[in-house]
Amino acid sequence: MSKPINQRVDELPTKNVTIFSLRSLDFVLPDKWENLVGWDNTIRTITGETDDSLIQLVGDRAIALYNDKSQGYQTALWLYDTIDSAGSALGTAALANKVGEKVPLLGFLNKLTPKADKAQTIDLTLKLVVEIVAFCKINGIPGDSIGDFVRSLGDYSGESLMRMAALVCFDGLIPLGPDFVQAVGERLGMLSPSELEDNQEFKKIKDEIPGKNAEHKLGFMGESFESVRGWMSEFVSSHDLTPQKVSNRLQSFIEFSDDRLDYLAAFLDMSTDYYRHTGVQTLARRLIERSLAEI
Amino acid sequence: MNFSASFAAPRKLFVAFLLAMMLVVGGCRNPQTPAPPSETSQQVQPAEGGAVASDAVPGSAFNKFFPAGGDGYERVYTQEKTGFAEAKLKRDGQDIAMLAISDTISTPIAAQKFQNSQATIAGYPAVTVGNTQTAILVADRFQVKVISRSPDFTEADREAWIQRFDLSGLAQLK
Repeated sequence: MSKPINQRVDELPTKNVTIFSLRSLDFVLPDKWENLVGWDNTIRTITGETDDSLIQLVGDRAIALYNDKSQGYQTALWLYDTIDSAGSALGTAALANKVGEKVPLLGFLNKLTPKADKAQTIDLTLKLVVEIVAFCKINGIPGDSIGDFVRSLGDYSGESLMRMAALVCFDGLIPLGPDFVQAVGERLGMLSPSELEDNQEFKKIKDEIPGKNAEHKLGFMGESFESVRGWMSEFVSSHDLTPQKVSNRLQSFIEFSDDRLDYLAAFLDMSTDYYRHTGVQTLARRLIERSLAEI
Repeated sequence: MNFSASFAAPRKLFVAFLLAMMLVVGGCRNPQTPAPPSETSQQVQPAEGGAVASDAVPGSAFNKFFPAGGDGYERVYTQEKTGFAEAKLKRDGQDIAMLAISDTISTPIAAQKFQNSQATIAGYPAVTVGNTQTAILVADRFQVKVISRSPDFTEADREAWIQRFDLSGLAQLK
C-alpha cells in the first residue's frame, strides 16, 4: 500500500546526502530552492493563508485529488519514485550516520560500479522523459496552443528547476564530462531498440513511455532529448558550469579525489534520490494550487 | 533561464502530440502502484465518490475565457485538468497572481459559499476567501477565482482581473 501524499510530504527529509547535494548547487541557482517539508507547512507557505479551517479544507481537497487515480497524480509520483534507484546498494542507514561529517568516498569504492557511458546516456534520457510525462500527468497539457504548452514547460522554478539543474550536473556533467549534451545526442542516435530493451531502468518504466514498441519509445526519447538539449547547453554555458566546479562544491561533504569523478557519479546515483524528493514537492505544490483554486 | 527559447516548435508539436495521445489512450493505469488509503474529508467530495465528477467540463473548454496578457503582464497556463484550468499572471518575470476557472459540480461546497453573499462583481455573486482570494460564481456553476501571489496585487486588482475574463462567454458554457 503506497503512502498518502500528506504523509509523503511530512516524511521528506531535511538532512541527508540528497539535501546536501542539492544545496551544493546553490551557487548555480542562488536562493531558488527552499526545501519545503511538512504537509501543513507546505500548504501555508504555498497559499500564504493562515486560517486553520481554510488550510484544512485545502489539504483535504488536495488529498482527495491525489487519491483519485483518474487524475494521474499517483502515476506521476510513481514515475518520480521509480526512476530513482537510490539506497539499494549503499544502505541509507550507513549514510545517515555520516550526516554531519564528511563521507569518505574511498570507503564505498568496493560497492560502487561506475556506469558505462551508454547506460548513463539512457539514464539521463529516461529522467528527461519522466520529467515530461510526469509534467503532463500532473498539469495536463495547459493552454490551447503549442506556444502555451511550451511557455508552461518553460516556466520552471523552485524545486522543479532545481531538479533539472541536478540532472544537468549529477547525471550529465560529472559522469559524462563538459560536452555531455553532444555526447548523449550522439550515443542516443546509435542506440538500437534491443539495446534499450536490455536496460533495467527502461524495463521499469517502459509502460509509461509513449510509443507502441521499443522502437517508437526510443523515438520518443530522442525527440524529448532534442527538445531540451538546447536548454541544457544554454544552462551549462550561461552558468559557466564545469564538472570541476560542481565537484568542488560537493567536496564540502564528500571526500574524494578529482580523478575519481566516475566513482563520484556512481556514488551520487546510489545515495541520492533527488528526483523522488523534489518530485514529491512539485506534486504537492500543484495539488495545493489546484485545491486552493477549486474550493 | 527558459526552456522555451530553445524549443523547436515542430519537434515540440511531435512530443506534445504523443503525450496527448498517451494521456487519452494510456489513461492513468499503473498496476505497480497500489492505491493509497482513502482518508478524505467527505465534504469536499462530489456525490459519486471520486474527486472529480464524471460530467465535469474538460479544463480545455475554459482556456478561451481567460484574460490575455499584454501591457507588461504575461499569462502562462499552468494546469488543465478535468473541471479545472489555471494560469499564472506574471509581471517583470515575477509571479503576481493565479487565475483559475473550476467546475463546482465536483466541489459543491465551493458553490455553497456564494449563497449568503450580498456582494457581486460584474453582476455575479462574489466572495473574498482568506487573505489572498476573490471569487465569483458564473451560471450557478463555474467558479472564477483570482489569487494574489504578491502583496502588491491587491483585492482591487483581483476584482479588476476577474472582470477581464470572458464571463458572458463562460456563462453560455454547458
